[in-house]
Amino acid sequence: MHGEYKMPGGKLVVIDLDVHAGQLANVQLSGDFFLEPDSALIAINAALEGRPADLTRSALTEVISAALTAETKMYGISPDAVAVAVERALGREHEA
Amino acid sequence: MSRTDWRDHDWQLIHIGAQPPTLHMALDDVLTGEVGAGRRKPTLRIWEWASSAVVIGRFQSLRNEVDTEAAQRHQIEVVRRISGGGAMFIEPGNTITYSIYAPQSLITDMSFRAAYAFMDEWVLTALEELGIKAWYQPLNDITSAGGKIAGAAQVHRAGAVLHHVTMAYDIDAAKMVDVLRIGREKLSDKGTLSAAKRVDPLRSQTGLPRAAVIECMIATFRRLHGLHNDFLRPQEVADARALATSKFSTAAWTGDVP
Repeated sequence: MHGEYKMPGGKLVVIDLDVHAGQLANVQLSGDFFLEPDSALIAINAALEGRPADLTRSALTEVISAALTAETKMYGISPDAVAVAVERALGREHEA
Repeated sequence: MSRTDWRDHDWQLIHIGAQPPTLHMALDDVLTGEVGAGRRKPTLRIWEWASSAVVIGRFQSLRNEVDTEAAQRHQIEVVRRISGGGAMFIEPGNTITYSIYAPQSLITDMSFRAAYAFMDEWVLTALEELGIKAWYQPLNDITSAGGKIAGAAQVHRAGAVLHHVTMAYDIDAAKMVDVLRIGREKLSDKGTLSAAKRVDPLRSQTGLPRAAVIECMIATFRRLHGLHNDFLRPQEVADARALATSKFSTAAWTGDVP
């Protein structure tokens, strides 16, 4: 499943994932955003893996934020934008 | 750390012969490290391409961005760079690419947005001298009345900032959209792209050969910030070649975000 979200004033945030037994699986974040250190990408993927597929957008945002260290820098991407891309991959309507 | 100014540094220019795409990727990695470690003075490097390439951003999905079969058909190598941002479609002579390797002190306490614009102020001046009214379009684009000119990307690492930019000189848009999968969401930004036969804001707006545009850019940088001609050290070349082989040529790195 595939979801894309062009963050307003930001970059394209893409999520590819599967759902196995109601849980997020094979979560892959990608896009043309800027993220430092680059290992934060793996941390976000790992934080989402295995989470219930019915988590709300705000719960997803919390999960993603908690995976980031104080040193993480984001430009053109945010935890909330990733959460929206997850919702879109899951086929949920996004209310802005 | 207090902020430094351009003129506080002894800027070096590297503008050498054409290199293969993986060596360009590796040189950015190595030279950023050398400047960060203080072994190399701050440097402007102008790239010349030995062969065609699609250069995808650090976090882009290989399969979402690139039609690998079309790339093979056109004999275009696909490489992944160390910075974020979007895909570049390169054929020798169709773009102008440069890297700036600077001490982090040059952008101390600047926001990302300010740092991107700051690193390219000299380019806007050069473009103005070439008769192009251009401006910075956040987050990371240089644009003009004739359309988007360039995209920038930065990496901040161990005391250094890498700021590199690819400018469209004369791009075969049909071939580009054959090779790059430009996503549905992205098209909302760049709706005119697929209709155009060529994306040539620099060529059409200057009427100058690519080499003349580059000469003007170098002259502008030299006048504003100072610039001494330099070359790659043998150790830098050796390190970059090793990294091109061990990292940037590998399927593991190119497919790191599958």
